Amino acid sequence: MQGIAEPIYLDHAATTPVRAEVIAAMSRCHAEDFGNPSSGHSWGRRARRRLERARASAATALGIPAAHVFFTRGGTESDNLAVLGRARHAIARGTGAPLVVTSSIEHPAVFEAAEQAAGEGARHAVIGFSNGVLDLDALKAAARERPAVVSCMWVNNEVGLELPMADISEVCRDHDVVLHSDAVQAVGKVPLALRDNPVDLLTVTGHKIHGPTGTGALIATDPGGLQPLHFGGGQERGVRPGTEDVAGAVGLAEALRLAVEEVEAESTRLRAIRDTVQARLAARVPDLRINGEGLPRAPHILSLGIPGADSDTLLAALDAQGIAASGGSACASGSSAPSRTLATLYPGETAATLRLSFGHLNRARQVDRIVDSVATAIERTREFARQ
Amino acid sequence: MTDRAKPLRILVAMSGGVDSSVAAALLVEAGHDVVGATMKTFCYSGEDEEASSKTCCGLDGIRDARGVADELGIPHYVFDVEEEFTRDVIDDFVAEYAEGRTPNPCVRCNSNTKFRDLFKRGRVLGCDGVASGHYVRLDRSGERPRMLRGRDSSKDQSYFLWGLPAQLLRRLHFPLGDLTKTEVRERARRLGLVTAAKPESQEICFVPTGNYRDFLARKLLPTHPALSSGAIVDHRGRVLGMHHGYSGFTVGQRKGIGGGRTEPWYVLEIRAATREVVVGPRHLLEARDVRVGELNWLAPPPPPGSRLDIQIRYRSPALPCSVAAHVPDGLTLALRKPAAAVTPGQSCVFFSGEEVLGGGRIRSVSGASC
Repeated sequence: MQGIAEPIYLDHAATTPVRAEVIAAMSRCHAEDFGNPSSGHSWGRRARRRLERARASAATALGIPAAHVFFTRGGTESDNLAVLGRARHAIARGTGAPLVVTSSIEHPAVFEAAEQAAGEGARHAVIGFSNGVLDLDALKAAARERPAVVSCMWVNNEVGLELPMADISEVCRDHDVVLHSDAVQAVGKVPLALRDNPVDLLTVTGHKIHGPTGTGALIATDPGGLQPLHFGGGQERGVRPGTEDVAGAVGLAEALRLAVEEVEAESTRLRAIRDTVQARLAARVPDLRINGEGLPRAPHILSLGIPGADSDTLLAALDAQGIAASGGSACASGSSAPSRTLATLYPGETAATLRLSFGHLNRARQVDRIVDSVATAIERTREFARQ
Repeated sequence: MTDRAKPLRILVAMSGGVDSSVAAALLVEAGHDVVGATMKTFCYSGEDEEASSKTCCGLDGIRDARGVADELGIPHYVFDVEEEFTRDVIDDFVAEYAEGRTPNPCVRCNSNTKFRDLFKRGRVLGCDGVASGHYVRLDRSGERPRMLRGRDSSKDQSYFLWGLPAQLLRRLHFPLGDLTKTEVRERARRLGLVTAAKPESQEICFVPTGNYRDFLARKLLPTHPALSSGAIVDHRGRVLGMHHGYSGFTVGQRKGIGGGRTEPWYVLEIRAATREVVVGPRHLLEARDVRVGELNWLAPPPPPGSRLDIQIRYRSPALPCSVAAHVPDGLTLALRKPAAAVTPGQSCVFFSGEEVLGGGRIRSVSGASC
């Protein structure tokens, strides 16, 4: 593209660049400690040591025992393993059709896994929202049926909505039900405080927190209750067989450590940028809806509902100005599948959605250009739609 | 076509096929600031997934177009034009078959969606023009741009482009107009484009299975007259048999009718009101007078008495005729020699030599030489 100003990346909820500390930690693994952790020789030992230190470091960052950390190859895999692994475990035990409970705004990695479980003999119950608040009574009613797993995301990827994890956790504990939470958008953005909000299964991933893509972990307090999705080896205590990605685990652990260490400062910084952009856009652009306004939201996501525009054209117009953003979420672009999240929060509404997600690459000095570019792109796109 | 001094910002319609891929590549080579765009014209989820991946416009098409754009180092966007496409192309397609006519959906798409609607979006991105991989030329040397047939007569696609808004012509670019298909494939191979060896798409993009009757059945009620049985009658009105819906027929189509006839019979007419399909011998298919409606002009309309050539099917030869009269919603043409299979609903495109003057839709025919 010719002659555009400095590009601005506002798609941190899609993925993030790997930070220098992580690259440094990983490159040592790649070049030197490359052994297979299952090997008995010195290379294997060195690799194994790196892997177990990474596990311990990730556990420390999350405030949990190292034995609960199972490295996977990403968020989708962790989510699938939690939901489908629990469901299949229950199906295998053969006591009727087990129940899988999810919120209505889960990421497809959870929601589609629950649908898959339903196809394999489980039942999928979906907990809705009322005025943006999870229906806790419905959750309680579902919990009384002793589901195989309840899965509620910590922070929604499209709108940034924070789910009431303390309440959800309490309901699940009261009913002795296994709780899974997809926390890929929460880590480094909101304090998890797992001691106060215990969960049985937790999904984390590297690439949303400036770690490597293709890395993740499932935190599991009782791995025995999970049927693995992969077969072929005893790695990760059989929960996730396959030669371990040591460098990936090291990168994930380092990214986790830094994200948790910086969560307070970074969330304050991002909230200030996000709130300024939000306030200035709301003042400048008529008929703008701030998705999730008035509800608890993570600090890095600004989701806008824009009546009278189409999001394909809007995103293209922004890209032409060097602004990287996304529609509801990056996963859905190119497919015009309606967003479950927005359908839940704003039923029947057809406004275009623009998601700006902030992170390390953003600075307060970019706010003027962000506001200008977004406002101009919305004006032009609306003008086109009126033609 | 694009050899201008000043580089332009051009939106190129990329289907994922070889032609539009090369068109994009040539514009990049010529130094233009090129933006790739693929239209998402309808929802594929309800269709046969295997079938949809075979066509240019399926999701594989989007993936291939994006791959080519990435190789060329240009941005690529997918625009959801489903609403416009449904209104201007699919609804018309269904309505025409319901009326017993045979539509050209590709013409409708070119006349409305592919250029007009894409250009509107291109404007939002700061584009000055829109390009496609059609085999047709634009002569910009005179006062007004003139659309000419493509150099490769076996690939010339001017038949499909008569409906473009005339005021858009100066915004258009057809980089393949001077090339042959062989040259285009060769270019694609040399550029290493993933689409170099892709087969030609043949089906209508929104009917990936090729079975348009199933498609109509989904859009119309299954009890619609177009899908209900009716009589096959001969030109004298004698009932010869029954059919399972006149939408399965096209005027000019050869119809095997039993009864030991020596010469084949053809569909002469579809009478939607009575659900009759009229068949008869070939000489009854010949028409001398053609009435054309829904005109669009890319050049000044020729006055009555003017001689011009018309083309009534893709790849069929030009037929000399003269303008008999301008009528309120179109014009009538007198063919110099009677022509067979002038099919209501199909496009009739007007030429003066190589130049596309405009076109319209065939309304009715008469003057069969019986």
